[in-house]
Amino acid sequence: MNAPNRYELYVIEEGETPVEVIEDTKIPNAATIKILKQDHTLGNMLRAQLLTMPQVLFAGYKVPHPLHPYFILKIQTDGTITPDLVLSEACNQLIGTLSTLESKFKREFSFKEADGGPGAASAAGGAFATSDDPYGTGAGTGGGAGWGNRDDYLDF
Amino acid sequence: MDPVLRIREYQRDRVNFVLENVDLAMANSLRRVMMADLPTVAIDLVVVEANTTVLPDEFIVHRLGMVPLVSTNCDAAIRYTRDCNCEGESCEFCSMILTLHVKCNESITMDVTSNHLELQPHPEKGIEEAGEEPVRRTENFGLPVGKNDPDVDPILICKIRKGQELKVKCQVKKGIAKEHAKWSPCSAVAFEYDPHNKLRHTSYWYETDEKAEWPLGENAREEEPSREDELFDFNAKPNKFYFDVETDGSLGAQEVVMKVCDTFASSENVADERST
Repeated sequence: MNAPNRYELYVIEEGETPVEVIEDTKIPNAATIKILKQDHTLGNMLRAQLLTMPQVLFAGYKVPHPLHPYFILKIQTDGTITPDLVLSEACNQLIGTLSTLESKFKREFSFKEADGGPGAASAAGGAFATSDDPYGTGAGTGGGAGWGNRDDYLDF
Repeated sequence: MDPVLRIREYQRDRVNFVLENVDLAMANSLRRVMMADLPTVAIDLVVVEANTTVLPDEFIVHRLGMVPLVSTNCDAAIRYTRDCNCEGESCEFCSMILTLHVKCNESITMDVTSNHLELQPHPEKGIEEAGEEPVRRTENFGLPVGKNDPDVDPILICKIRKGQELKVKCQVKKGIAKEHAKWSPCSAVAFEYDPHNKLRHTSYWYETDEKAEWPLGENAREEEPSREDELFDFNAKPNKFYFDVETDGSLGAQEVVMKVCDTFASSENVADERST
């Protein structure tokens, strides 16, 4: 009844800022970053990438409530770089990794295609064309025979 | 360290690959994006004009929604209704119309299948400026997967007997699986790492003998089992990930895997640009 609309999980509404940086006043070189309309997919990946960087002392994320479509990322650095810059650096590294991954996928797929295309061996349609009938009758008009020519009890 | 990729098996609707030298978080995000972030098209709004079958309207409408539709090049071929300038009116740039009208007049049990869904010309021409979306659609875009292909069994929607009729008009919309699972291009994504459980990320329940009751899978052949006298390395990190992506046919397996990188990078871009 009062469940939020599902699209609110990933659509940035008018007036919302996707990223908000709140600098921490009590801890040096620390910031809390609120990222709207993103979930564990991005949060966990960013956290992991930040932890590989030597300038980062602390990085953690949480999704405070499953119905609230945002996550919070906390970063503390050693002071040689600000938390928002280190985050931006982490994003660039991830984008770099992904583009190498993409080109690797492209290359691997082109090799496989040269070998004879998708499913050259067994699967040209094979995977789709399993003819085991899950309903136990032939396709189309199975079961018709059983009815015979009895009178229909429906009044047309 | 650069990621290492090896495709072990590649078919039209499935791809099996091994990914090395990436983080667990990265591999898991890859899996999550493939399952829930890729747009496809599916039947979203149904007007039931006649239904004298034994199944209630809701039942049939749900079944129609689950039918996989060909969604090749979905990014360019159709808009989200919320982004379209028809303001929710569902014009030809952000929706498609499928109809189904079947009536049984013989003394047989007739199958109503996805092959009976017919694509109709869209009555609502787009408002204002024209878009190129419809031109970019492939010939069978928006039609049920495998329609009129004799090698593919059609999807059974319901069965009707003599005198029963089903007439519906369906609106096809673009969406992603975070809104409804029917928009997921993947029917299954297998994901495994550390087949010998060397990292002890899990503990196996067993009755008498753990080894006998938990047989090793195929992927275990790719890695060395731990020796009896080997000490537990608590600093070890998973490094090799086994994927098997199976699609429902709406997108090819290759398209799914390739689009992941795009979708992914764009969400990071957003995070990146705004933070500086």
